[in-house]
Amino acid sequence: MSESGDETAGRPAGIHDGDQRDPTGRQTILARAFVRLADTLVSDFDIVEFLHGLSTDSVAVLGADAAGVMLTDGRGGLRLIASSEERMRLLELFELQGAEGPCLDAFSSGRCLQAGAADSRARWPVFAPHAAEVGFQRMCAVPLRVRTDVIGALNVFRGGDEPFTDDEMEIAQAMGEVAAIALIQERALREHSLLTGQLQAALNSRVVIEQAKGMLSEYLNVPVSDAFELLRTYAREHNRKLSEVAGGVVDRTIPSGTLTRRPG
Amino acid sequence: MRDDGRRARIVAAVTDRDSTTGVAELMRRLCLFAVDEMALSGCALVLMSGDDAASVLASAGPHARTVTTLQMELGEGPCLDAYASRAPVLLPDLSATNANRWPAFAAAALAAGVHAEFSLPLSVGRRGIGTLDLCRDAPGMLSADHLSDALAAADIARDAVLYQQYAPGDAGLAELLETAGNDRIVIHQATGMIAAQLDETVPNALARLRAAAFASGRSMYEIAQDVVERRVRFDE
Repeated sequence: MSESGDETAGRPAGIHDGDQRDPTGRQTILARAFVRLADTLVSDFDIVEFLHGLSTDSVAVLGADAAGVMLTDGRGGLRLIASSEERMRLLELFELQGAEGPCLDAFSSGRCLQAGAADSRARWPVFAPHAAEVGFQRMCAVPLRVRTDVIGALNVFRGGDEPFTDDEMEIAQAMGEVAAIALIQERALREHSLLTGQLQAALNSRVVIEQAKGMLSEYLNVPVSDAFELLRTYAREHNRKLSEVAGGVVDRTIPSGTLTRRPG
Repeated sequence: MRDDGRRARIVAAVTDRDSTTGVAELMRRLCLFAVDEMALSGCALVLMSGDDAASVLASAGPHARTVTTLQMELGEGPCLDAYASRAPVLLPDLSATNANRWPAFAAAALAAGVHAEFSLPLSVGRRGIGTLDLCRDAPGMLSADHLSDALAAADIARDAVLYQQYAPGDAGLAELLETAGNDRIVIHQATGMIAAQLDETVPNALARLRAAAFASGRSMYEIAQDVVERRVRFDE
């Protein structure tokens, strides 16, 4: 390539500048974090592990000391799902119990916010002193939001009182948005495969019931319609599902002879 | 969902503006739409759960039933592969391509006058629920536009069945699912009877039934009927 002689020519300015301003590799951490956040399509996706990753990534990327994630329980309340350390877990539980704090505010307003523990005593009279007591002076919270759908909030804490920069707030917000998209997508996929599973089970059970009817009618030398009654009677008497009993007949775990009692 | 305009256009074409279209009717109109728009000789919506449990939900055109029935009878064909792989199987010329892949199906379909077959999966994530099958009495690939329409139609059918998206609360869906596989009932019953006669597993019994049909030139359905009515036994 013709530009290869000049390191900076033709490259987006941000990348090069970033390398120089960012000796700790924040952009690399950030890029890795985003890849992880987008990766919910793996077969062994675990929501707690995913949110734990979000917490620890936020700490690394935002130069913070602790982070935690709360998700809505679907009834308007929040639950603590993951946190980067034990101290944080207790603090967030405290926040939930006292029904006040940055995470709750970010969740209910759908907006990002930051605050210092010292100057938030009026806003959060119980939470702010407690946060300072366990060693956090500065905190920010961002909603996990996709358009108008807020599903939770991410809380990030610093030991010192140095405010989060505008850049850092934007990064936190972006991480919250990507995580929310990933979670909503994962939830949709899980619901869909539940539905397809139910449909397939319904179709399969019809097939296996017909096969069992044929098998019983042959083994017991009864008409097919009687075989169905025998299946139903057995299922009722043993308090089992019709399709289960049919499956048992077909794979011979239920001997046909045990169904011979003629219907009522 | 990537092509909302296309989808909206098809939905508008197959639903009533002022009243709710039942699921069964929606399926039928989707098949008619495909046949008319794409100059097909057949279109069928097939619900599947495993290779041997297929139910035709709706169909249109003279060749629709031919193609699905052939595949169920022979136990091979593009719609079974599309279902299993959850990827479209496009066969613009049955005489030229893939005759080795499905020797029995390709020959029988050609003999019935079907020259092109396109099978699109109805799928969600890693799971499938069936296929949309299109066939033509002349060779030739679907145009890109028609293929896009067909994919959108498959999505509409899937969402109508799975999420009742286009006919919420329609009791017809349960009824449709209940009756959709009725033409295969006799085959399932016969399979159970053959399994008992031979003291065999159900899959092996089904293979025996299929082999008997293939060897005799009769359909599985006919032989199954003989078995259920006790005119034919497999242990003699």
